[in-house]
Amino acid sequence: MPDAQSTKHNEHAKKRNYRPLVSTKALQKTMGRYYAITNYHRYWGKPLRRPLAWVTSGAPVELLRAFKIHSAYPEQYAAIYSARQATVSLCEVAETAGYSQDLCSYARSNIGGVLRPDLAPLGGMPKPDLLVACNNICGTVLKWYEVLARHFNVPLLVLDTPFLTGELTPQAKEYVLEQLNAMAVDLEKITGRKLNQQSLAEQMRRSAEITSLWKETRQYCQASPSPLNAPDLFIHMAPIVVLRGSQEGINYYRKLEAEVKERVKLGQGAVNNERIRLVWDNIAIWPQLFSFYKLFAEKGACFVTDTYSGGWAADHAPGTPMESLAATYTEVFLNRSPEYRANQLINQIRDYKAHGFVMHSNRSCKPYSLVQEVIRRKVMRETGVPGLMIEADMADPRAYAEEPVRNRVQAFLETFDDLT
Amino acid sequence: MQSYFIGVDIGSLTVKVVLLNNHLEIIGQMKTRAGYSGRDVANRLKEQLLTESGLKEQDVRSTVATGYGRVTFPADREVSEITCQAKGIHHLFPTARTVIDIGGQDSKVIKLLSNGKVADFAMNDKCAAGTGRFLEVMASALEVEWQEIGEIVSSSKNPTKISSFCTVFAESEVISQVSAGTPKSDILAGVCDSVANRVASMTRKIGLEPDIVFTGGVAHNQGVVNALAKQLGYPLLVSQEPVITAALGAALLAREMNKV
Repeated sequence: MPDAQSTKHNEHAKKRNYRPLVSTKALQKTMGRYYAITNYHRYWGKPLRRPLAWVTSGAPVELLRAFKIHSAYPEQYAAIYSARQATVSLCEVAETAGYSQDLCSYARSNIGGVLRPDLAPLGGMPKPDLLVACNNICGTVLKWYEVLARHFNVPLLVLDTPFLTGELTPQAKEYVLEQLNAMAVDLEKITGRKLNQQSLAEQMRRSAEITSLWKETRQYCQASPSPLNAPDLFIHMAPIVVLRGSQEGINYYRKLEAEVKERVKLGQGAVNNERIRLVWDNIAIWPQLFSFYKLFAEKGACFVTDTYSGGWAADHAPGTPMESLAATYTEVFLNRSPEYRANQLINQIRDYKAHGFVMHSNRSCKPYSLVQEVIRRKVMRETGVPGLMIEADMADPRAYAEEPVRNRVQAFLETFDDLT
Repeated sequence: MQSYFIGVDIGSLTVKVVLLNNHLEIIGQMKTRAGYSGRDVANRLKEQLLTESGLKEQDVRSTVATGYGRVTFPADREVSEITCQAKGIHHLFPTARTVIDIGGQDSKVIKLLSNGKVADFAMNDKCAAGTGRFLEVMASALEVEWQEIGEIVSSSKNPTKISSFCTVFAESEVISQVSAGTPKSDILAGVCDSVANRVASMTRKIGLEPDIVFTGGVAHNQGVVNALAKQLGYPLLVSQEPVITAALGAALLAREMNKV
């Protein structure tokens, strides 16, 4: 996701003996433009009457786009902070201010960056005019965004999506739909614009298109050898997160898809001599993105798919644009039962002919990690493939102990060899 | 012609070396404290073993290294302790399905298939609670040698509860028990229970299946053996030399690598 890392990624790719993507150049251009526009918002936002919103990764941005609101993602900036090794100092700022070390490292480093922008890469985030939080990804965002709302003294709009123990019920859908309608009224007040249904429909159309491009690109990884490895997926997911509903995003994924398709045609794998196919579960380990995944790549193990970046490949639900938003954003996988998530992993293992899976027990992300052990056992039982659990953190390198991790990874990969 | 194989296990606390011949007979074995340079200690033990057995370096067909210092040792191959432990235990106890290994700074549980392959494993993470180091710290707080723990515990009538999961805080709990005049045997029994609790929950996590083998340095400690057996509700099999089973596994792997 942090595009500024992509040049580094390509350099590493050469050294690490896996194949760099040509599309990385286009990714840098697309994302570079997005960051420039975002970070200079103070110059163009007011004249164009286009407020800047800080939003959670699971917020219904298509609705915001219909109001010409520009969105920036604290979670995405936090991933960049981490890849650029700034997380520890930013977290320390937040911890000194009284935030617990047990709090999510995205939240801590974001708050640290708000308090000390001089320590944050890219000069921190540009100041928001409003905040939009949706609790479909976790409950932390509610308190985190309340802190931000008090700090910046700007409106906070919350979308409450009930946790789905089974399928989405009509009541839950109605509940979210009503909130979306109320949010639209709030946004009309904030922006001074009327909701343009046609524009919303257009945003939804483009969002659906970018989603299906991302989905198709990922499906090419069912090929053997897989044309992409996990670090590719993590880096090239940036536009699907921040440019959902945009034409630039669509243009970018068309390029990426073409390249990936070509790789499959030529039988080119992301990892040289792919011999072990794995599925990844949980957010990337950003501060160790290269060194960690290298432990696998150097043994011919490729992560052919994952549940994390796959979260952005879910089809849009049917109905009017507002109905579709209500259902799509409530049905995100992190808002669903352990059974649902286990089945998702089981299907990925079957569809991608994976030999095993690796779960990142992510100290920061409780909703993602808490039920992993239950899921791990169910998936192992039903697929017969082994699953490894690694303890780390998506952004805070202090939670990563290199030697124990190396030990577990080696032991896990040895189970695929005929050693015992 | 007879050929020989060496397994080296450089652990956090001790170094173990096993010398094996191609009839799977253990020709010799040695262990000692790792100290600062596990690699040098391992080399010394290896030379000693060879001299005592009247062998030369050239008689050794291959060497496999395992343990934390495995990458530092010039072996033909380095293999993780999980795989080596599984290999060693399956060789000694073919009916073993669960291996509990408590070493100096690791505790781990390995689930084995009937063919000895690793089906699953779990390890402690970033914490010394439930390891040999934990027992050492507690023993030193009570001024007893860790080898004596088993015997002292056997006279305990009313084991104390050591509630903390953290080695540092558990030590202060022990010290406050000492000040309160609690008998040493009861405090130590509490310490053994606390290790057993920790490891038993890890065992249940990956699924308990008999036969259960307990190995690693802590398997020498009868206090923990009894506490763990009670916790799990199964008898535990312990080899005569529980410290060297991973080194034995490494030597067995060295031999397999050279099967013609």
